[in-house]
Amino acid sequence: MESYGRTSPLMALALAFVAVIWVSPFAWLVTTAIDPKTTGVLEIPRAIGIDNFVSALSGTAGLQFVNSVWLSVGTATLTVIVAGAAAYPLSRLNLPGRNLLLWGLVLLRLLPSAGIIVPLYFSALSLHVLNNVGVMLALTVLNLPFALLLLKNFFDSVPIELEEAAYVEGANVWQIVTQIVMPLSRSGVAVVWFFSFTSAWNEFLLPLIFARTDTAFPMSVGLFAAFGQHGAVDYGFLAAYSLVYAAPAVIVYFLLRRNLNTGFAGVGVKG
Amino acid sequence: MASQTSPWLRSARGPMFVAMLPAIVLIVALIYFTGWAVTYSFTNLELTGPNSLNWKWIGVDNYVRLFTRQGFLSSLWVTVIFTFFSAIVGQSVFGFVLAAAMRGLRGWGRTCVEVALMLGWLLPDIVAAFLWQATTTDIGFVNTLILQPLGFPPYDFLANYALVVVIVANIWKGTAWSYLLFSAALDSISREILEAAKVDGATGLQRTWLVTLPIIRPHIATNMLFITIWTFTYFALIYALTGGGPGSSTEVLSIFMYHQSFGVGKLGYGAAISIAMVLIVGVLSVFYLRQLKEPK
Repeated sequence: MESYGRTSPLMALALAFVAVIWVSPFAWLVTTAIDPKTTGVLEIPRAIGIDNFVSALSGTAGLQFVNSVWLSVGTATLTVIVAGAAAYPLSRLNLPGRNLLLWGLVLLRLLPSAGIIVPLYFSALSLHVLNNVGVMLALTVLNLPFALLLLKNFFDSVPIELEEAAYVEGANVWQIVTQIVMPLSRSGVAVVWFFSFTSAWNEFLLPLIFARTDTAFPMSVGLFAAFGQHGAVDYGFLAAYSLVYAAPAVIVYFLLRRNLNTGFAGVGVKG
Repeated sequence: MASQTSPWLRSARGPMFVAMLPAIVLIVALIYFTGWAVTYSFTNLELTGPNSLNWKWIGVDNYVRLFTRQGFLSSLWVTVIFTFFSAIVGQSVFGFVLAAAMRGLRGWGRTCVEVALMLGWLLPDIVAAFLWQATTTDIGFVNTLILQPLGFPPYDFLANYALVVVIVANIWKGTAWSYLLFSAALDSISREILEAAKVDGATGLQRTWLVTLPIIRPHIATNMLFITIWTFTYFALIYALTGGGPGSSTEVLSIFMYHQSFGVGKLGYGAAISIAMVLIVGVLSVFYLRQLKEPK
């Protein structure tokens, strides 16, 4: 029974052990963040307070939080709109060589993004977008191949008959797209939005090179700059900052979890 | 498949082509950037100095330099070790074992383990780097919680076993993906097949090796494809955790390329390194895709 039946107590114990090991670095982060008097050693907090969180959300740190939100929501929304608008025609119209094109683009994206950073940098410089808007545009370009492929595969699984029926009933293109196609593709769009959001939220290398002042940094570069500084390390501040930085990615995942699971089934393992 | 003659599609053709325009512009930009990067790799372009303006074509010199100069080959070796142990062995095997072990588990127990795994995956790279740096230094909790109670002196893992720490950190971070994929794959296997194998007298190990693994072979190949590409070109976690050091013990190819391009300023050589990375990843991908296509 062991490989597909009920779990034995020994197995449950082993799994519990794995779970404890997995969350223990995270536990350190939490106990350090809520303890204003922390020294960075793992221990029961000597005091509990929100001082660390206050300093992680005020001044420059707060500005960096706003930068990250603006950057990630902007990138994800732009990616979904641009990719969705192109993926739907790609799925519906019989364009020759479309699959070859899509896989070719995905192959192109295997290039480590660091490899095209120099051309990206010079282009952003000449277009005067050497800032978070530039990062947003660059990330959208980089996200596009995977977003197109995933959304096209997803639209392929939405039956066209519904659209044709609506057309016969006299609905126009805009009504069909907004009232039939979009509601049916919610989970595919959620997957792409989520992946674009987290990749932008995570992105480190592009803003490291594009953003020059600490008030323009998103949180990834802000955190790196803060713990890269030598001298006395303020573990309480860094831990609180880390939690603030990690929270949106975790929250967005759990909000979209149901959509994501169906979306995974639809687009995840399809060739 | 959508038929070309449907009146709905005929009426929607115009708006559809207009809708594709922004994507076409950005795709052209992507191809243009890539072409530019390939072009750099045949020049002696540098970030600063005279060669930043008056660069010259130098043919394949940058590619010859990959094999004749110190650096590239040893960095490639570090990358291979990192990818093999953290992705192929660590994340993939561990993800499969967890997915198999959790098959019978339902309810809150399963949720707890899944949430624990997902936390690692969802944490931003730089947070994971900070966490593992703090965890493995001499006052980190591996020392305070495990070594000191056992009577050992504090030990700075990050300074002495940087590559091991980086590999463990990446296993911690990435296993959730493999777990999710294998979990979905195992759910697609019908119980009847496993029951039948059991009735025929197959042991647990035989059932896994001879029944389960062949069925989920496409999933294994898909998983390998993704995690190999991600791990081979991973930058942020390693760079933030060790910066490639101590020495060059954790200088994987992406960091080597970054150092050569923006540290030393040799943009042409850096471009050649990234093209070499693409070729290596490309060969590996073709290998995995063949495994994916092969009939069962």
